Amino acid sequence: MNESLAALRQDILERIEHCKSETEVEQLRVEVLGRKGKLTLLLRGLKDLPAEERPRVGDELNQSRRVIEERLEERLEVVRRQSKEHALREETVDITLPGTRWERGRIHPLTLVTDQIIEIFRGMGFEIARGPDIEDDYHNFEALNFPKDHPARDMQDTFFVSNDRLLRTHTSPVQIRTMESRQPPLQIIVPGAVYRHDDDATHSPMFHQVEGFMVDQQVAFSDLKGVLTHFLRQIFSDETGVRFRPSFFPFTEPSAEIDIQCVICGGSGVSAEGQNCRVCKGTGWLEILGAGMIDPEVFRFVGYDPDKVSGFAFGMGVERIAMLKYGIEDIRLFFQNDLRFLRQFG
Amino acid sequence: MKFTFNWLKEFVSVTLPAEKLAERLTMAGLEVESLARLREPETNQEDWLFEIAVTPNRGDCLGISGLARELAALTVTQLNSLPVSLHAEDPAGMKRLSVVIEAPELCSRYSASVIHDLSVQPSLPLMKFRLEACGIRAINNVVDITNYVMLETGQPLHAFDLERLSANRIVVRTAQGIKTFTTLDGVERELAREDLLICDGARPIALAGVMGGADSEVTAQTRRILLESANFDPVAIRRTTRRLGLHSEASHRFERGVDPGGTVAALDRAVYLLVKIARGNPVKVVADSYPRPPKLPTIALRNEHIEGLLGIRLAGKETAKLLKSLGLEVEAENNGVIKVQPPSSRPDLTREADLIEEIARLYGYEKIPSTLPRVLCSGGKSDYRLAEERRLRTFLAGEGFVEVINLPFASERTNRRFTGVWQGAAAPVTVLNPLVQESAEMRFSLVPGLIENLNINLAQKAESFHAYHLGKVFRLASGGESEERQSLAGILFGPRQQLGLRAGEEKSPTFLHCKGIVEGILDLLHIADKLAWSAETPRILHPGRAAALLRDGSTMGYLGQIHPDLQQQLGVPPFFLFELDFEELLQYAPRRIKTRSLPRFPSVERDFAIVVDERFPSGQIVSWIESLGEALIEQVQVFDHYAGSPIPQGKKSLAYKISYRADDRTLTDTEVNTLHQDLTNRIEKLFGAQLRS
Repeated sequence: MNESLAALRQDILERIEHCKSETEVEQLRVEVLGRKGKLTLLLRGLKDLPAEERPRVGDELNQSRRVIEERLEERLEVVRRQSKEHALREETVDITLPGTRWERGRIHPLTLVTDQIIEIFRGMGFEIARGPDIEDDYHNFEALNFPKDHPARDMQDTFFVSNDRLLRTHTSPVQIRTMESRQPPLQIIVPGAVYRHDDDATHSPMFHQVEGFMVDQQVAFSDLKGVLTHFLRQIFSDETGVRFRPSFFPFTEPSAEIDIQCVICGGSGVSAEGQNCRVCKGTGWLEILGAGMIDPEVFRFVGYDPDKVSGFAFGMGVERIAMLKYGIEDIRLFFQNDLRFLRQFG
Repeated sequence: MKFTFNWLKEFVSVTLPAEKLAERLTMAGLEVESLARLREPETNQEDWLFEIAVTPNRGDCLGISGLARELAALTVTQLNSLPVSLHAEDPAGMKRLSVVIEAPELCSRYSASVIHDLSVQPSLPLMKFRLEACGIRAINNVVDITNYVMLETGQPLHAFDLERLSANRIVVRTAQGIKTFTTLDGVERELAREDLLICDGARPIALAGVMGGADSEVTAQTRRILLESANFDPVAIRRTTRRLGLHSEASHRFERGVDPGGTVAALDRAVYLLVKIARGNPVKVVADSYPRPPKLPTIALRNEHIEGLLGIRLAGKETAKLLKSLGLEVEAENNGVIKVQPPSSRPDLTREADLIEEIARLYGYEKIPSTLPRVLCSGGKSDYRLAEERRLRTFLAGEGFVEVINLPFASERTNRRFTGVWQGAAAPVTVLNPLVQESAEMRFSLVPGLIENLNINLAQKAESFHAYHLGKVFRLASGGESEERQSLAGILFGPRQQLGLRAGEEKSPTFLHCKGIVEGILDLLHIADKLAWSAETPRILHPGRAAALLRDGSTMGYLGQIHPDLQQQLGVPPFFLFELDFEELLQYAPRRIKTRSLPRFPSVERDFAIVVDERFPSGQIVSWIESLGEALIEQVQVFDHYAGSPIPQGKKSLAYKISYRADDRTLTDTEVNTLHQDLTNRIEKLFGAQLRS
């Protein structure tokens, strides 16, 4: 190639790369390819060349022209994109301003915890049953093997609405109601409100329980341990230590109380400040569930044969679980419904 | 039940340190509620105070000797026997003291001793220390010994000043005929005819098993006592204590069952201490009337059943060893069955299940494996109500409503004002023993609770409160049965809070906001078309800004602004509320939703606006058009409502949108125009409306 043409071409291509705007690209195009453009003039000058050189030089010029045109187009794309991007950047917002939205509503923490409990048991095949809050003495006590005039009734201070009717003290009467109307196998959970004649920072005259029971031909205490350990590790954490110790409930035999390792001190019994842990009172354990194998007397009340079926039952306080999960110290907060409290959940 | 560690060690040689012992007891069902270090007086020796929560079935553990028996079984240790004065019967003495049990069904045994020449003094420091540590006030050596032996054996004892008795004849009888009795705390008690009394001849000297009388009490002058060690019926004692509200250490034990086999042993121990400490001189008199010794049950225990109930396999020998360690008589295994006889101290053991519990307890709950039961494929049913309630909660949370839960109690006044979904004609369920009189009834309505929540939040300067409560309401139905229903109520106060930059003025809720929420709920349940609105509303609402929801003429709920008078009485700012019979609504909600296929041809929309009287209900036109049943009219909606210039006073403008559609073709303009023109002309005439162009 002619040296001067090569230099010219090189120079033009470099200048293309330096164009900063659409205008600069257009100006350069006119300068090179316009009517009086450098390359245009050279093409026009072809006819003055000797005939034998014309095809070669012509080819070189045409090829250069194609390359330059291509490069100009490419550059135009680039500068257009750049200028648009630049213009968009000018439309900037203050990303540190708060977003605009409506305050959303909340679901009550007791509903949230009840739902979690229900879901864990439904995952194990349990279904839901319900019963009335105003119960009769028979379903709340007698059929659950709390004889009249027995000190076991002192364990549950009762609100009476008549001689024989009362506000249920636990969700256990639904055990009786369910077994009266259905046959095993049964796997039932019963969420609901219960009432005790009590009122302080850890007791409310109304609170919530989830009762559960399982009855079939061969349900053993070891199954009770398995199901409840699984439940507790789901609702608290996989590492939660669980212990079962003997206790007494009139409607179960053997009976157990179930403790979890204290969620505050991790079971050491010692608080972060080196004091006795306030929540577990230094024992490292928290009582969380009552349970046991359904007493044969209860089966007799509902017409099951205790030699043919066995089962376990358990009950837990929803408030207590919520208090431990969320570190709430006063049960009354659940029922004052202060927005500053409720807005921390859901 | 409280006891001290050193005291317990007199009964059983425990080598465990106190903390370990506490854990051991807890894990055996005798939950240690507190443990505190003490120092004995004079010697300054270390001791520990244990407080145990004894479950109501374990009356035998309300004495240290019972706990010692448990511990001996748990730790395989020997029991020690304490020094006693062995009694000897004295037939001559028996004649001087006779015991007559007139109510043998309430008193299965009555044993007594007489001790002379006592020197009533303050007790020795160690005895005082132990009693007071266990929560019993020290009085004098004689009374203290009765309490001390009760703590040791679980058998309540009572000392009568023999000089102050009028006859040497003890009669155990019910009160019938005797109206009052003054207990040793100086209170005159009214008696019921079934209360059990101890009498000296005809005069009552003690409320059996509960408390002695003021005028036979041991005093500093007492020289001779009659010491009672008896067994009373748990139910009778419980009725008396509950009726009188009079609980004592003795009644606590009798209610839970005291071993009738232990009356004489307790006397022997007390007499030993009275001789040793109070320098008494026992007259060899023991009266012991035992009309009804308990029949001890023999229980068949099946090996197979142990495995079925506990999920562990135990050899018969192992089972027998565990049960024997508790003092049970066990016969050799025969065909997988062993026969067991519990002692009279364990009346709680009457059935196979009771024995299996003892085995589990001694074996250790922690050693029983954890297994997951075989899956029952019949379970796991879905729950319609739970699913619908969850949808409702999600919807309301999205609408900015906070869920509240309130206690279900109400005052009589509140129930009279707020009758909720029961609509006035309801009788309340009344709590006979409320915590306070203001909460003596079960609520009719969820609204008062929400108003209380509003007040609590206003006190915290809340600018808005949009909340709902899904909960039960109660009433007394005919025949004395109670009725409960799931109700849903909400409250709207103040503009819904917006977060972020303020965009113009926030609007306080109006009647239409409140209605919108209720419509949203009806839409959620797919029942909006089954209900109608009425202006007949409860008195708690503003008569001009309220509506009731009807289904087949019966009310399913109401909504609107709180009545200004009531609002003033309540001392709150204006707010809107709604309350719905959620349970009923759910009854009518379709369980299955039907879908329509999507239209293939476009719709054509036409608007019209009319000027009508300001009281004219806009819905009248919508329902009239719908009633025409015109196949080409797909939907009618009101979309604007306006009063003010240029509309004349007393009038308002309403704007409607009609969408026309055919399902087999695209409608032409002319077709629609003709139809629309005809419709608007008829509306003008029929409703006296003036069409706006």
